[in-house]
Amino acid sequence: MAAAAEPKPFLEPAVPQPGVKYPLKVPYCGECGVPIEYCENYPNYEKCKAWLEKNLPDEFEKLKVDKASTEEEGAADSKDREEGEEKKKRQTRGGKAMIKTKKKIEPQGIKLWTQTRGKKKKVTIVVGLASYEIDLKEASKFFAGKFSCGSSIAGEDEIVIQGDVKDDLFDILPEKWKIIEEDDIDDCGEKK
Amino acid sequence: MFKKFDESENVGNVNIAKSSVQKGIRSQILDQFSHIDDYLDQILPKKEPLKIVKCHEHIELLCNQTGEILFFRQRDGPLFPSLKLLHKFPFILPHMQVDKGAIRFVLSGANIMCPGLTSPGAQMTKVDKDQIVAIMAEGKQHALAVGFTKMSTEEILSKNKGVGVDNIHFLNDGLWGMKQIK
Repeated sequence: MAAAAEPKPFLEPAVPQPGVKYPLKVPYCGECGVPIEYCENYPNYEKCKAWLEKNLPDEFEKLKVDKASTEEEGAADSKDREEGEEKKKRQTRGGKAMIKTKKKIEPQGIKLWTQTRGKKKKVTIVVGLASYEIDLKEASKFFAGKFSCGSSIAGEDEIVIQGDVKDDLFDILPEKWKIIEEDDIDDCGEKK
Repeated sequence: MFKKFDESENVGNVNIAKSSVQKGIRSQILDQFSHIDDYLDQILPKKEPLKIVKCHEHIELLCNQTGEILFFRQRDGPLFPSLKLLHKFPFILPHMQVDKGAIRFVLSGANIMCPGLTSPGAQMTKVDKDQIVAIMAEGKQHALAVGFTKMSTEEILSKNKGVGVDNIHFLNDGLWGMKQIK
Protein backbone atom coordinates (compact mmCIF):
# COMPACT_ATOMS: atom_id res chain seq x y z
CA MET A 1 0.00 0.00 0.00
CA ALA A 2 2.66 2.41 1.02
CA ALA A 3 4.69 1.55 -2.05
CA ALA A 4 1.73 2.14 -4.34
CA ALA A 5 0.98 5.52 -2.85
CA GLU A 6 4.53 6.67 -3.14
CA PRO A 7 4.86 9.27 -5.87
CA LYS A 8 7.03 8.60 -8.85
CA PRO A 9 10.52 10.06 -8.62
CA PHE A 10 11.06 13.25 -10.57
CA LEU A 11 13.57 13.39 -13.35
CA GLU A 12 16.71 15.24 -12.50
CA PRO A 13 17.14 18.53 -14.34
CA ALA A 14 18.94 17.67 -17.54
CA VAL A 15 22.69 18.13 -17.53
CA PRO A 16 25.36 17.34 -20.10
CA GLN A 17 26.12 13.64 -19.88
CA PRO A 18 29.74 12.90 -19.06
CA GLY A 19 31.54 11.16 -21.89
CA VAL A 20 29.08 12.38 -24.52
CA LYS A 21 30.37 14.80 -27.07
CA TYR A 22 28.08 17.66 -27.95
CA PRO A 23 26.58 18.64 -30.33
CA LEU A 24 24.84 15.32 -30.84
CA LYS A 25 24.18 14.24 -34.38
CA VAL A 26 20.59 13.22 -34.81
CA PRO A 27 19.76 11.43 -38.06
CA TYR A 28 16.64 12.80 -39.73
CA CYS A 29 14.44 10.84 -42.09
CA GLY A 30 14.71 11.93 -45.70
CA GLU A 31 11.05 11.30 -46.36
CA CYS A 32 9.33 13.11 -43.52
CA GLY A 33 12.22 15.02 -41.98
CA VAL A 34 11.77 14.00 -38.36
CA PRO A 35 14.17 11.97 -36.19
CA ILE A 36 13.82 8.42 -37.47
CA GLU A 37 12.26 7.12 -34.28
CA TYR A 38 9.20 9.29 -34.93
CA CYS A 39 8.62 8.14 -38.52
CA GLU A 40 6.07 5.60 -37.39
CA ASN A 41 3.78 8.42 -36.36
CA TYR A 42 3.53 9.76 -39.87
CA PRO A 43 1.31 8.51 -42.68
CA ASN A 44 4.07 7.48 -45.09
CA TYR A 45 5.80 5.05 -42.76
CA GLU A 46 6.37 2.50 -45.54
CA LYS A 47 8.17 5.06 -47.65
CA CYS A 48 10.24 6.12 -44.67
CA LYS A 49 11.27 2.53 -44.08
CA ALA A 50 12.33 2.16 -47.67
CA TRP A 51 14.35 5.33 -47.41
CA LEU A 52 15.94 4.14 -44.20
CA GLU A 53 16.90 0.81 -45.69
CA LYS A 54 18.56 2.56 -48.56
CA ASN A 55 20.35 5.35 -46.75
CA LEU A 56 20.97 4.21 -43.19
CA PRO A 57 21.05 0.39 -43.27
CA ASP A 58 22.50 0.23 -39.74
CA GLU A 59 19.57 2.08 -38.24
CA PHE A 60 17.18 -0.02 -40.26
CA GLU A 61 18.67 -3.22 -38.82
CA LYS A 62 18.28 -1.83 -35.33
CA LEU A 63 14.66 -1.10 -36.03
CA LYS A 64 14.10 -4.66 -37.19
CA VAL A 65 15.70 -6.08 -34.05
CA ASP A 66 13.44 -3.92 -31.91
CA LYS A 67 10.40 -5.11 -33.82
CA ALA A 68 11.38 -8.77 -33.48
CA SER A 69 11.78 -8.52 -29.74
CA THR A 70 8.37 -6.97 -29.34
CA GLU A 71 6.76 -9.52 -31.60
CA GLU A 72 7.96 -12.31 -29.37
CA GLU A 73 5.47 -11.13 -26.86
CA GLY A 74 2.91 -12.32 -29.37
CA ALA A 75 -0.65 -12.20 -28.20
CA ALA A 76 -0.35 -9.05 -26.19
CA ASP A 77 1.12 -7.29 -29.17
CA SER A 78 -1.66 -8.16 -31.58
CA LYS A 79 -4.17 -7.01 -29.05
CA ASP A 80 -2.33 -3.76 -28.87
CA ARG A 81 -2.47 -3.41 -32.60
CA GLU A 82 -6.20 -3.94 -32.71
CA GLU A 83 -6.60 -1.29 -30.11
CA GLY A 84 -4.44 1.02 -32.16
CA GLU A 85 -6.59 0.54 -35.22
CA GLU A 86 -9.69 1.24 -33.27
CA LYS A 87 -8.17 4.40 -31.94
CA LYS A 88 -7.30 5.52 -35.43
CA LYS A 89 -10.87 5.01 -36.56
CA ARG A 90 -12.19 7.06 -33.72
CA GLN A 91 -9.79 9.81 -34.49
CA THR A 92 -11.08 10.37 -38.02
CA ARG A 93 -14.06 12.09 -36.49
CA GLY A 94 -13.57 15.74 -35.70
CA GLY A 95 -10.68 17.09 -37.66
CA LYS A 96 -7.35 15.78 -38.69
CA ALA A 97 -5.20 13.94 -36.24
CA MET A 98 -2.50 12.98 -38.66
CA ILE A 99 -0.46 15.61 -40.34
CA LYS A 100 -0.03 15.28 -44.03
CA THR A 101 3.53 15.69 -45.05
CA LYS A 102 4.04 18.29 -47.71
CA LYS A 103 4.13 17.05 -51.23
CA LYS A 104 7.38 17.61 -52.98
CA ILE A 105 7.03 19.37 -56.29
CA GLU A 106 8.47 17.32 -59.11
CA PRO A 107 10.74 19.21 -61.50
CA GLN A 108 8.60 20.08 -64.45
CA GLY A 109 11.14 21.27 -66.96
CA ILE A 110 12.08 24.80 -67.79
CA LYS A 111 10.28 26.91 -70.32
CA LEU A 112 11.73 29.86 -72.15
CA TRP A 113 9.91 32.61 -73.97
CA THR A 114 10.89 35.86 -75.58
CA GLN A 115 8.68 38.87 -75.59
CA THR A 116 8.99 42.08 -77.54
CA ARG A 117 9.19 45.30 -75.61
CA GLY A 118 8.81 48.49 -77.58
CA LYS A 119 9.25 47.45 -81.21
CA LYS A 120 12.86 46.37 -81.32
CA LYS A 121 13.84 45.23 -77.83
CA LYS A 122 13.31 41.77 -76.37
CA VAL A 123 13.09 40.19 -72.96
CA THR A 124 13.52 36.53 -72.05
CA ILE A 125 11.08 34.87 -69.68
CA VAL A 126 12.26 31.81 -67.71
CA VAL A 127 9.66 29.68 -65.98
CA GLY A 128 10.19 26.55 -63.91
CA LEU A 129 13.39 27.16 -61.99
CA ALA A 130 11.68 27.01 -58.61
CA SER A 131 10.52 23.44 -59.24
CA TYR A 132 14.19 22.43 -59.16
CA GLU A 133 14.46 24.04 -55.74
CA ILE A 134 16.59 26.82 -57.08
CA ASP A 135 16.39 30.10 -55.23
CA LEU A 136 14.89 32.57 -57.66
CA LYS A 137 16.59 35.57 -56.14
CA GLU A 138 19.97 33.96 -56.47
CA ALA A 139 19.27 32.86 -60.03
CA SER A 140 18.10 36.28 -61.05
CA LYS A 141 21.23 37.88 -59.65
CA PHE A 142 23.33 35.32 -61.48
CA PHE A 143 21.67 36.09 -64.81
CA ALA A 144 22.03 39.81 -64.31
CA GLY A 145 25.74 39.38 -63.69
CA LYS A 146 26.30 36.89 -66.45
CA PHE A 147 24.56 38.80 -69.22
CA SER A 148 25.22 42.25 -67.74
CA CYS A 149 21.60 43.20 -68.02
CA GLY A 150 18.55 43.71 -65.86
CA SER A 151 16.86 40.67 -64.41
CA SER A 152 13.86 40.50 -62.15
CA ILE A 153 11.52 38.04 -60.50
CA ALA A 154 8.18 38.57 -62.15
CA GLY A 155 5.99 35.97 -60.47
CA GLU A 156 5.96 32.96 -58.23
CA ASP A 157 8.16 30.97 -60.57
CA GLU A 158 9.14 33.40 -63.28
CA ILE A 159 12.23 35.40 -64.07
CA VAL A 160 12.39 38.12 -66.71
CA ILE A 161 15.79 38.81 -68.19
CA GLN A 162 16.23 41.88 -70.36
CA GLY A 163 17.58 41.14 -73.81
CA ASP A 164 17.29 38.01 -75.91
CA VAL A 165 19.52 35.50 -74.14
CA LYS A 166 17.60 32.35 -74.93
CA ASP A 167 20.41 30.67 -76.81
CA ASP A 168 22.91 31.28 -74.05
CA LEU A 169 20.55 29.90 -71.45
CA PHE A 170 20.58 26.47 -73.07
CA ASP A 171 24.28 26.19 -72.26
CA ILE A 172 24.44 28.12 -69.03
CA LEU A 173 21.55 26.56 -67.10
CA PRO A 174 22.87 22.97 -67.10
CA GLU A 175 26.35 24.25 -66.40
CA LYS A 176 25.38 26.30 -63.38
CA TRP A 177 22.85 23.86 -61.88
CA LYS A 178 23.82 20.25 -62.37
CA ILE A 179 20.30 18.92 -61.80
CA ILE A 180 19.06 20.56 -64.99
CA GLU A 181 19.55 18.56 -68.17
CA GLU A 182 19.69 20.33 -71.47
CA ASP A 183 16.72 18.28 -72.67
CA ASP A 184 14.57 19.62 -69.84
CA ILE A 185 14.76 23.10 -71.27
CA ASP A 186 11.95 23.90 -73.63
CA ASP A 187 11.91 26.75 -76.11
CA CYS A 188 8.34 27.99 -76.38
CA GLY A 189 8.97 30.67 -78.93
CA GLU A 190 7.47 34.11 -78.63
CA LYS A 191 4.90 35.11 -76.11
CA LYS A 192 1.90 37.06 -77.32
CA MET B 1 2.57 29.03 -32.23
CA PHE B 2 3.88 27.58 -35.47
CA LYS B 3 1.04 25.29 -36.41
CA LYS B 4 -0.08 27.48 -39.27
CA PHE B 5 3.25 29.05 -39.96
CA ASP B 6 4.29 29.24 -43.58
CA GLU B 7 7.68 30.22 -44.83
CA SER B 8 6.45 32.08 -47.87
CA GLU B 9 3.73 34.00 -46.03
CA ASN B 10 4.77 34.74 -42.50
CA VAL B 11 8.42 35.58 -42.87
CA GLY B 12 9.58 39.14 -43.22
CA ASN B 13 13.05 40.46 -43.68
CA VAL B 14 16.41 39.23 -42.45
CA ASN B 15 18.79 41.49 -40.54
CA ILE B 16 22.19 41.05 -39.06
CA ALA B 17 22.12 41.95 -35.40
CA LYS B 18 24.14 44.83 -34.07
CA SER B 19 26.84 43.72 -31.70
CA SER B 20 25.05 45.40 -28.81
CA VAL B 21 21.88 43.45 -29.61
CA GLN B 22 23.87 40.27 -29.89
CA LYS B 23 25.42 40.92 -26.52
CA GLY B 24 21.99 41.40 -25.06
CA ILE B 25 20.82 38.11 -26.53
CA ARG B 26 23.82 36.26 -25.17
CA SER B 27 23.21 37.57 -21.71
CA GLN B 28 19.52 36.73 -21.97
CA ILE B 29 20.37 33.17 -22.92
CA LEU B 30 22.71 32.90 -19.96
CA ASP B 31 20.04 34.37 -17.73
CA GLN B 32 17.49 31.83 -18.84
CA PHE B 33 19.74 28.79 -19.17
CA SER B 34 22.63 29.47 -16.82
CA HIS B 35 23.84 25.86 -16.89
CA ILE B 36 24.84 25.93 -20.57
CA ASP B 37 27.59 28.44 -19.94
CA ASP B 38 30.32 26.08 -21.16
CA TYR B 39 28.55 25.32 -24.40
CA LEU B 40 27.35 28.80 -25.31
CA ASP B 41 30.34 29.47 -27.51
CA GLN B 42 29.56 26.34 -29.48
CA ILE B 43 25.96 27.32 -29.93
CA LEU B 44 26.54 31.00 -30.58
CA PRO B 45 30.16 31.68 -31.53
CA LYS B 46 31.16 35.09 -30.27
CA LYS B 47 32.74 36.33 -33.45
CA GLU B 48 30.05 35.26 -35.88
CA PRO B 49 27.30 37.64 -36.80
CA LEU B 50 23.80 36.66 -35.76
CA LYS B 51 20.86 36.87 -38.13
CA ILE B 52 17.51 38.06 -36.91
CA VAL B 53 14.49 37.14 -38.99
CA LYS B 54 11.36 39.15 -38.36
CA CYS B 55 8.15 37.23 -38.85
CA HIS B 56 4.47 37.95 -38.46
CA GLU B 57 2.87 38.13 -35.04
CA HIS B 58 6.01 39.74 -33.64
CA ILE B 59 7.96 36.53 -33.81
CA GLU B 60 11.71 36.82 -34.17
CA LEU B 61 13.97 33.98 -35.18
CA LEU B 62 17.65 34.01 -34.33
CA CYS B 63 19.88 32.20 -36.79
CA ASN B 64 23.58 31.54 -36.98
CA GLN B 65 25.77 32.29 -39.94
CA THR B 66 24.91 29.11 -41.85
CA GLY B 67 21.23 29.93 -41.56
CA GLU B 68 20.15 27.37 -38.99
CA ILE B 69 17.47 28.58 -36.66
CA LEU B 70 18.73 28.53 -33.08
CA PHE B 71 16.25 30.42 -30.95
CA PHE B 72 12.96 32.19 -31.38
CA ARG B 73 10.85 34.53 -29.32
CA GLN B 74 7.63 36.44 -29.48
CA ARG B 75 7.73 40.14 -28.68
CA ASP B 76 10.10 40.54 -25.76
CA GLY B 77 9.25 37.15 -24.32
CA PRO B 78 11.65 34.44 -23.29
CA LEU B 79 13.90 32.79 -25.85
CA PHE B 80 12.87 29.31 -26.89
CA PRO B 81 15.48 27.01 -28.43
CA SER B 82 14.44 25.44 -31.71
CA LEU B 83 13.98 21.67 -31.80
CA LYS B 84 16.96 21.18 -34.07
CA LEU B 85 19.17 22.93 -31.55
CA LEU B 86 17.55 21.00 -28.73
CA HIS B 87 18.34 17.72 -30.48
CA LYS B 88 21.97 18.72 -30.59
CA PHE B 89 22.12 19.93 -27.00
CA PRO B 90 19.33 18.11 -25.16
CA PHE B 91 20.35 19.48 -21.77
CA ILE B 92 19.30 23.05 -22.51
CA LEU B 93 15.82 22.47 -21.15
CA PRO B 94 14.39 20.35 -18.34
CA HIS B 95 12.72 17.25 -19.75
CA MET B 96 9.06 16.34 -19.42
CA GLN B 97 8.29 12.87 -20.66
CA VAL B 98 4.81 12.06 -21.94
CA ASP B 99 3.38 8.55 -22.29
CA LYS B 100 3.12 6.70 -25.57
CA GLY B 101 -0.51 7.48 -26.18
CA ALA B 102 0.12 11.20 -26.20
CA ILE B 103 2.77 11.21 -28.93
CA ARG B 104 0.44 11.35 -31.91
CA PHE B 105 -1.54 14.20 -30.47
CA VAL B 106 1.52 16.22 -29.56
CA LEU B 107 2.86 15.68 -33.07
CA SER B 108 -0.27 17.22 -34.52
CA GLY B 109 0.14 20.24 -32.30
CA ALA B 110 -2.03 19.52 -29.25
CA ASN B 111 -1.15 21.00 -25.90
CA ILE B 112 0.03 18.51 -23.31
CA MET B 113 -2.72 17.52 -20.93
CA CYS B 114 -1.98 16.65 -17.33
CA PRO B 115 -2.92 12.94 -17.51
CA GLY B 116 -0.33 12.48 -20.25
CA LEU B 117 2.29 13.66 -17.78
CA THR B 118 1.16 11.72 -14.72
CA SER B 119 0.45 8.26 -16.16
CA PRO B 120 2.88 5.35 -15.58
CA GLY B 121 4.77 5.89 -18.82
CA ALA B 122 5.41 9.54 -18.13
CA GLN B 123 7.98 11.33 -16.04
CA MET B 124 8.43 14.92 -15.05
CA THR B 125 11.20 17.21 -13.95
CA LYS B 126 10.26 19.42 -11.05
CA VAL B 127 9.56 22.84 -12.53
CA ASP B 128 7.53 25.94 -11.74
CA LYS B 129 4.78 27.56 -13.71
CA ASP B 130 5.73 29.47 -16.89
CA GLN B 131 8.91 27.59 -17.62
CA ILE B 132 10.20 26.38 -20.95
CA VAL B 133 10.49 22.61 -21.10
CA ALA B 134 11.44 19.95 -23.62
CA ILE B 135 8.72 17.39 -24.30
CA MET B 136 10.21 13.92 -24.54
CA ALA B 137 8.30 10.70 -25.15
CA GLU B 138 8.18 7.28 -23.58
CA GLY B 139 10.58 4.95 -25.38
CA LYS B 140 12.08 7.70 -27.55
CA GLN B 141 15.41 9.41 -27.24
CA HIS B 142 14.79 12.77 -28.79
CA ALA B 143 12.54 15.67 -27.97
CA LEU B 144 9.35 15.99 -29.97
CA ALA B 145 8.20 19.41 -28.84
CA VAL B 146 9.11 22.55 -26.94
CA GLY B 147 6.55 23.57 -24.37
CA PHE B 148 5.71 26.26 -21.86
CA THR B 149 4.34 25.05 -18.54
CA LYS B 150 0.94 26.36 -17.52
CA MET B 151 1.09 24.80 -14.05
CA SER B 152 3.84 23.82 -11.69
CA THR B 153 4.69 20.16 -11.40
CA GLU B 154 2.86 19.86 -8.07
CA GLU B 155 -0.23 21.40 -9.53
CA ILE B 156 -0.16 18.99 -12.48
CA LEU B 157 0.02 16.09 -10.05
CA SER B 158 -2.75 17.34 -7.79
CA LYS B 159 -5.18 18.65 -10.42
CA ASN B 160 -4.48 16.06 -13.10
CA LYS B 161 -6.87 17.75 -15.49
CA GLY B 162 -6.66 20.19 -18.36
CA VAL B 163 -3.66 21.68 -20.12
CA GLY B 164 -0.40 21.22 -18.23
CA VAL B 165 2.07 22.38 -20.84
CA ASP B 166 1.42 24.58 -23.85
CA ASN B 167 2.79 23.23 -27.10
CA ILE B 168 4.91 25.98 -28.63
CA HIS B 169 6.92 24.22 -31.31
CA PHE B 170 6.69 20.58 -32.40
CA LEU B 171 8.15 18.23 -34.99
CA ASN B 172 7.11 19.00 -38.56
CA ASP B 173 5.36 22.25 -37.78
CA GLY B 174 5.91 25.41 -39.80
CA LEU B 175 9.12 26.34 -38.05
CA TRP B 176 10.58 22.85 -38.30
CA GLY B 177 9.90 22.80 -42.04
CA MET B 178 11.75 26.04 -42.70
CA LYS B 179 14.74 25.94 -44.94
CA GLN B 180 18.00 27.55 -44.05
CA ILE B 181 17.83 31.30 -43.87
CA LYS B 182 19.91 33.11 -46.38
